[in-house]
Amino acid sequence: MWKSILLLLCITYVHGAEKVNKQIINKNVERSIDLTSQLVKISSVITIENAGKESVQNYLIVVESPVNGNLSIITVKDALKEDVKFKPAEIEGRKDLTAYNVILKQPLDSGRATVITVETIFTKSLVPHPTSILQKEKQLVRYFGNAYLYSPYNTKKQTTNVALSSRSIENYTKLKPSSQSDSTITYGPFQDIQSYSNEEIVVHYENNAPFLTVSRLERNIEISHWGNIAIEENIEIHHTGAKLKGPFSRYDYQRDSGSAHSIKSYRTILPAAAHSIYYRDSNGNISTSNVKTRNEWTELELKPRFPLFGGWQSSYTLGYSVPSYQYLYKNKLGEYVLNMRLIDHVFDDMHVEELETSIVLPVGVSNIRVKTPYETKRLDDGVTYKYLDSIGRTIIKLRKNNLVEQHIQDFEIKYEWKFTLLFHEPLLLTLAMFVLFVFAIIYVRLDFSLKKTEHQKKE
Amino acid sequence: MVQAGSKKTQVPKLSSKTGISSLIIFVVLLLAWIVGFSSRLFAVIRFESIIHEFDPWFNYRATAYMVKHGFYNFLNWFDERAWYPLGRIVGGTVYPGLMLTSGSIHYFLHLLHINVHIRDICVFLAPVFSGLTAISTYFLTKELWSAGAGLFAACFIAIVPGYISRSVAGSYDNEGIAIFALQFTYFLWIKSVKTGSVFWAITAALSYFYMVSAWGGYVFIINLIPLHVFVLLLMGRFSNRLFTSYTTFYIIGLICSMQIPFVGFQPIRTSEHMAASGVFVLLFAVGALKYLQSMLSKSEFKSVVIYGGLIAAALVFLTVVLLTYAGYIAPWSGRFYSLWDTGYAKIHIPIIASVSEHQPTTWFSFFFDLHILAATFPAGLWYCIKNVNDERVFVILYSISAVYFAGVMVRLMLTLTPVVCILSGIAFSGLLELFLREDDNVRPEEQEDEDQNTPNKRQLYDKAGAGGRLPKIKHDQSKESDGIGQNIRSIVTIVIMLLLMLFAVHCTWVTGNAYSSPSIVLASYGSDGSRQILDDFREAYFWLSQNTADDARVMSWWDYGYQIAGMANRTTLVDNNTWNNSHIALVGKAMSSNETAAYDIMTALDVDYVLVIFGGVIGYSGDDINKFLWMVRIAEGEHPKDIRESDYFTEHGEFRVDAEGSPTLLNSLMYKLSYYRFGELKLDYRTPAGYDRTRNAVIGNKDFSLTYLEEAYTTEHWLVRVYKVKKPDEFNRPRIPVANRVIKSPNFISKKSNKRKKGTIKNKPVVVKGKRLSKNQ
Repeated sequence: MWKSILLLLCITYVHGAEKVNKQIINKNVERSIDLTSQLVKISSVITIENAGKESVQNYLIVVESPVNGNLSIITVKDALKEDVKFKPAEIEGRKDLTAYNVILKQPLDSGRATVITVETIFTKSLVPHPTSILQKEKQLVRYFGNAYLYSPYNTKKQTTNVALSSRSIENYTKLKPSSQSDSTITYGPFQDIQSYSNEEIVVHYENNAPFLTVSRLERNIEISHWGNIAIEENIEIHHTGAKLKGPFSRYDYQRDSGSAHSIKSYRTILPAAAHSIYYRDSNGNISTSNVKTRNEWTELELKPRFPLFGGWQSSYTLGYSVPSYQYLYKNKLGEYVLNMRLIDHVFDDMHVEELETSIVLPVGVSNIRVKTPYETKRLDDGVTYKYLDSIGRTIIKLRKNNLVEQHIQDFEIKYEWKFTLLFHEPLLLTLAMFVLFVFAIIYVRLDFSLKKTEHQKKE
Repeated sequence: MVQAGSKKTQVPKLSSKTGISSLIIFVVLLLAWIVGFSSRLFAVIRFESIIHEFDPWFNYRATAYMVKHGFYNFLNWFDERAWYPLGRIVGGTVYPGLMLTSGSIHYFLHLLHINVHIRDICVFLAPVFSGLTAISTYFLTKELWSAGAGLFAACFIAIVPGYISRSVAGSYDNEGIAIFALQFTYFLWIKSVKTGSVFWAITAALSYFYMVSAWGGYVFIINLIPLHVFVLLLMGRFSNRLFTSYTTFYIIGLICSMQIPFVGFQPIRTSEHMAASGVFVLLFAVGALKYLQSMLSKSEFKSVVIYGGLIAAALVFLTVVLLTYAGYIAPWSGRFYSLWDTGYAKIHIPIIASVSEHQPTTWFSFFFDLHILAATFPAGLWYCIKNVNDERVFVILYSISAVYFAGVMVRLMLTLTPVVCILSGIAFSGLLELFLREDDNVRPEEQEDEDQNTPNKRQLYDKAGAGGRLPKIKHDQSKESDGIGQNIRSIVTIVIMLLLMLFAVHCTWVTGNAYSSPSIVLASYGSDGSRQILDDFREAYFWLSQNTADDARVMSWWDYGYQIAGMANRTTLVDNNTWNNSHIALVGKAMSSNETAAYDIMTALDVDYVLVIFGGVIGYSGDDINKFLWMVRIAEGEHPKDIRESDYFTEHGEFRVDAEGSPTLLNSLMYKLSYYRFGELKLDYRTPAGYDRTRNAVIGNKDFSLTYLEEAYTTEHWLVRVYKVKKPDEFNRPRIPVANRVIKSPNFISKKSNKRKKGTIKNKPVVVKGKRLSKNQ
């Protein structure tokens, strides 16, 4: 499956240099830039109008460089909030841009208009300024962005709202017209904007949301056909906000003056059926955690061993088990189908730099097919030996960089497996025990006879 | 009569009888193993599967290294993270037996694809070996006395606190496996003395080899066995059996022990080992004389003995003295001296005296560690003396020497415990044999069974002691039918049972309360009985491991060296392997000097972070201020000009941290690092700010700042405080490159001298003729 996806991608890359259809204009664009967390979430509601004669079905979305390097995920929805398909594309003469070709559900006839919503999430786009602060200082960040929608089409009218996490704004680019009320800055409405126009705005404001980055997440899923799926996540976290300058004073920290930018704890959401949860690191159990069971999920309040300040890092292992019947089933063809999350929640508004998911399949599986919800890099399969295994288990390894919460989606693995293999290890164990006892019996007999001869000798 | 009893076990009975008795033995030993194992799990159940205390962390780290890099790399391991800047050759300075044992278990399990983490093997190694110790104690006691006494001894050693103290789960230390090796070597030695077979002597030597690889306490074996031989010779008990077993054991044992890199040539070059070779020579001399005796007449023999003996003794003595003088044989080491002179260490080697387990034992701890066994083992000793034979001489010597050593050092309680168990086993076995005996002529075999049955039931009491009540009535009722002295008999039996039960209860209590704390995780109980975990040590060590440079050097007192290396994986200056006294003294000097003097030492040693333990907030008594006097003493030993212990006391000779404390103390680095900003902290409403709960005093030096260091991290309960040593440009003004330096021009003129030399009034009203005076111009 993934091979065909790759192939498809290759084809689109070779032939996909798209021409911009100048008949399309953006009639109205309403953008809102959400800067309340460590992520930059831009949602643009675009009213597309076909000003030409022929009906069109394709609409191009572009992300300008260099911010396209920080683009984590992009989703497109129509007026009914349903997903619209799109594929990567390339615009003629503008190879530096990241472009996507949206295929509208219905062709847009001449003179008609339709609405789509494009949501993009960027990571690493809020830069702490100053880059290092004292414990009692506030964390200020700067956002560099575009006041306009970066589009290959001309735009008639647009407004941009910037939502901030606090009212304390150091300064922001004052365009005309622009206004600030409470923690929101509004740019626009602007009229008649040319294609590819860029008007840089800078917002410098206080943001005490946790700037926590998972620099590496290793997710290991181990499937047992005895009815259990064990999940273990090795997580390295890193505070990517303004670095702590100077001393860390426990006294000030306990008096709770300032230091709002530090991270004391965060919540991790696990599946409702999760049990046998453990939270530890290389030095053993971390005793500062709480589990709350809700109806729909299990909530884990994790507290790192120490509060995290800017530039500090920590690492831990979180593991739990879930019953397999919720995720593993047999389809009509007699194949086993595993549906699980490729990545799970670590904390709200998370940013994962590098993910490696390893799925350990049971002993003796064959004909494995992997389907991922989005493009991932599949590494070479590994082999591992768990308790008393004599035949190795296949490990499927998937890797992806730069993920956010919206990436929490299911992958699907289909494989064939014989039920009798379940008894492989118990039989092996029984046999070993049997051999041991036989040896014990023989040994005892031997021992007994030896004593007897000794006894006879003595007498 | 007792003798007869012990003999009887060797006489095989009907096959069904043997089957039952071996089943009983098997079951009792298995139960002893299980009980011994599970009673050591308090710490795991209350806390977690974690390595305890200090030394085990090094052993664990070394084991993990060995598992990761292989045995040969381990032997060649140069640890540059310890003893900065000296480093430590680990392979040549450890007893590798412990690491090899757990490493091979790990290897074997992974061969079967049982993927157990090496840490869990390390944690549970000592409890598993306690079962093996119980079994080898059984065999040893069986050889010395009877199987019944053996079962008693096995049950005792499985739960006795004196041994549990060193072998709880997580206490991954040499002693955990060494006591097994000790008991097993003694068993094989006794076996070889009894049989005179080369086979047993060689197995004894191999077991001794294992002991040498595991623990420095092997010196005890290599002195006790020659002593045994020597006393046997004095008692005129020379035999060919003895000759064969000792000579075989000595030669094989000597060669094997020299294979351990850490031991090397010590067995032939140090005084501690000379007794063994002396006895070896002596045994040959006696053997030769015995041979001559059969050849010569009585008068000739007498003169040969006298002259030959005198000359030989003088020769041996002279050789040893000359070799020592010439430097071929090292004289007694300091640690060894302190065994004979308890005051020696305090005067000459404060570093040995500073360790609490090197203090002389109090009577309290004898009772605490041995309980009823402390009272009963002399009875067993008496039995042995009364019915003396070759092997019982051994146990007599063993107990007497072990009692002496245990009296000198708390730590050596450990070597006393096994022999106390053996002798108490003998005593209880003898007692019960006396009081549970039916009429000899009626049921002679029943008694034998009874004897073995009792420990079995007692074993159940052990479990009952931990859990609930015990079914003891049934046992006594079976004895009712007897005629003579049955009242006394049953009373004595009940008393003995009660004593044993109390012993089991005591053992469980002591194990649970005194010996099962991991000491790196503390637990406190709130007023409502809720349990609160204080995890400050791991918090700080983990902070160090995550948020300092990989090659950062951490200065702390030597107690925490192994933990920093093991948990934080950072370079330390000194650690619990206290081989370099002057280096430790340098750290002690830095801690006891004022900040400026300390900074010089710290920069000389490239220190990046300083770590101190401070218990003032939670009332933890084992903190660095309480250890401070030892730092001062050790520093004074090497730097008597700079550090004087008397400076740290008040005029009245008190060690105080409050306002009356000596100014030297109040300005020392350790004081400042412990109490930095503590003066502002109000713990609760009743006490003033800066109230130290450990020493129950308001600190004397409250308001001070640090010039050369800054607080890098302090844990939640202030237990561990980490400071960063500033670089010169951080506490001085920042360094400006020469090109950028702006030098003030010398022709600076003040405003005053520019104009008139008179002073002026600011805002002087200007008076203009013909105009009114306005206020605001």
